[in-house]
Amino acid sequence: MSSESNPSRWHIAILLAPAVIVLLVLFGGGLIYSLLQSLGWQPLIGQTRLSLDAYTNLLFSPDYAEVFWSGLAFSLWVSGLSTVISAILAVAIALLIYQTARGIRLWTFLFQFNLPVPHLVAAVGMLFLLSQSGLISRGTVALGLTSTPADFPILVRDTAGLGIIIAYVWKETPFIGVIVLGVLRSMSDSYDPAARNLGANGWQRFRYILLPLITPSLLSSSLIVFAFTFGAYEIPALLGVRFPRGLPVTALRLFTDADLNARSEAMALSLLITLMTSLVIVVYLWLRGIAERLT
Amino acid sequence: MKHLRHLVIVTLLLLTMGNAWAQDETAEAPFETPPGFASWDDVLQQAKGTTVNWYMWGGSDAINAFVDDFYGTVLQDEYGITLNRVPVADTVDAINLVLSEAEAGKTEGGSVDMIWINGENFFTLRQADLLYGPWAQTIPNSTLVDWESPAVAFDFGVPVEGYESPWSSAQLHFIYDSSRMSAEDLPHNYDELTAWIAAHPGRFTYIAPGPGGYMGTRFVKQVLYHVSGGDEQWNGEWNPTLYAEWSPKLWDYLNAWKPNLWRSGETYPANENELAQLFANGEVDFAMTQATAGAGPYIAAGLIPETSRAFTFEQYSIGDYNYVAIMKNAPNKAASLVLANLLLRPDRQAGHIRPETGFGLGYAIDINRVSDDDRAMLQKAFADLGDGAADPAALSAAFAPDMAPESQSIIEADWEANVLRK
Repeated sequence: MSSESNPSRWHIAILLAPAVIVLLVLFGGGLIYSLLQSLGWQPLIGQTRLSLDAYTNLLFSPDYAEVFWSGLAFSLWVSGLSTVISAILAVAIALLIYQTARGIRLWTFLFQFNLPVPHLVAAVGMLFLLSQSGLISRGTVALGLTSTPADFPILVRDTAGLGIIIAYVWKETPFIGVIVLGVLRSMSDSYDPAARNLGANGWQRFRYILLPLITPSLLSSSLIVFAFTFGAYEIPALLGVRFPRGLPVTALRLFTDADLNARSEAMALSLLITLMTSLVIVVYLWLRGIAERLT
Repeated sequence: MKHLRHLVIVTLLLLTMGNAWAQDETAEAPFETPPGFASWDDVLQQAKGTTVNWYMWGGSDAINAFVDDFYGTVLQDEYGITLNRVPVADTVDAINLVLSEAEAGKTEGGSVDMIWINGENFFTLRQADLLYGPWAQTIPNSTLVDWESPAVAFDFGVPVEGYESPWSSAQLHFIYDSSRMSAEDLPHNYDELTAWIAAHPGRFTYIAPGPGGYMGTRFVKQVLYHVSGGDEQWNGEWNPTLYAEWSPKLWDYLNAWKPNLWRSGETYPANENELAQLFANGEVDFAMTQATAGAGPYIAAGLIPETSRAFTFEQYSIGDYNYVAIMKNAPNKAASLVLANLLLRPDRQAGHIRPETGFGLGYAIDINRVSDDDRAMLQKAFADLGDGAADPAALSAAFAPDMAPESQSIIEADWEANVLRK
């Protein structure tokens, strides 16, 4: 290798500096400011005494505890289920496309066409489509299957978060799928015929050859989806009910509370959400370590 | 003539309920000129040739066009001021912008001059001391405003103290579709509504009290007035004992509706637009409005059927005013003052109540304080409201004032704990 393509550490540091500075100043600065506010630092209203009150309030006080714990359970349920369903569907569809002999480019295009659609647009679309007076409901009325909006099943703004999960699955399946498909495509063509020759059946070829090959990227993309859906606001805000509601929705609600004192709880909650998504990354690194040792 | 009498009744009502507060609140001497200006001419002089940044909720195309045309043109032609209307998705976005500027130490030359504001956000900015003032009683047209009425002098119970000036008034009442039900079948009070709900399962819901759903909070307060047998006892200072006595009965009353509410009360529309959508889609039979023009603005916007009509119960229809406030770090206070003054001009007031403006809210000025010609104009505008509006006489007869400001967050939190989560 030439010296240009193998720069010194010093060189790398300089090249990375712009990106690192932006990250540190914008992200780190925001994080520190949020931390201060969560500890009660609010000079605007003459509040400069630091304490952990906002955190204890959130976790234990009668005003907030029920909303916090139910919100945590709700967010975990929605993100967990969305991630699992998206991952399974993504692998299934990616495998189907991978094995399709003809029209592979068309199928790939159709599979990933909704990737650029913003989550907000997806949420509004689901609302128009799936609500009790939505397009599908109007269709079933026209077909005589239902007679009033109330006859149509409650699929969005439901207490179980179904609408949110449906919207996330629609958005995240192609995301995971495209990554898995990429791995499948870059795989050597010889594995499958070789396994076939050695007498492996379809399940065995999937379980012992394809799955181990796609696991690292499947795992990392699934964890990205989990972390993203856990902290995202717009879909739960539009497709959820008032109670139970996801943690990010509660965080913004507290942030925009007319009483500026509630901002401390809003920041504390946001930091707790950040902490939990960071935990997901730690879990990911740990799982990857195990996977590497196994292979 | 009939309408004039009704307006007088409203005014008298506002005056009588105001006596308790009015005595200690109006004792202070009126302000002479807006802080920082030598005279009103000085204000006009400094405003000439400038641009004013007015932040307001921009969710209605009709209102946006109305503001640009109805105020922007006059500002330009008569005062040489350019109106820069800045639309925000939610007023709280503008509030957060002002708060962020303050946190960043920007005490001068901010980006916001004026905000169309309600009591909650007014409270926030007063709490952080970020408003310019007191000025509201120094602008020429403030003499047309009845500042002695507590409905004007208190915004969601927060004392105005000259830090905001009224634009229009609003009163919460209901909308039904005359093609779906006849006027004889309408409920006239909350007990009749209870019976109606029981007879029509799934056809009624109300807006969830809470941020963005203040009409829902107001609705629940109206029910509280009914349950506790009157609104007089709730006037004035917040009374925790009275609330502790009556609130359990209020929650029982609302919870008793639940099995027969839309979606069995497991969720509620978050704001008036969601409710209007359910109404337009035929999922529920009543919507709510605060507009003097009633169903008119919704109809003009094509959101609900043209056969929609507004009506009010016989009692407990809570009304109040909405305001504009000027920021402490506003770059152009002079032009903001001119605009606030223009909003109160009788010809603008007569125009803003029309349903086709999308605004359709009531007067902020007291029609007994204007000239005879102006009074005739204001009366005529009232008479021309059209079929979508509720009977003004019924509205003024049903008028009730709002409660003390503490009630807002207490009722919202307690409703969530005792009704929504039950």
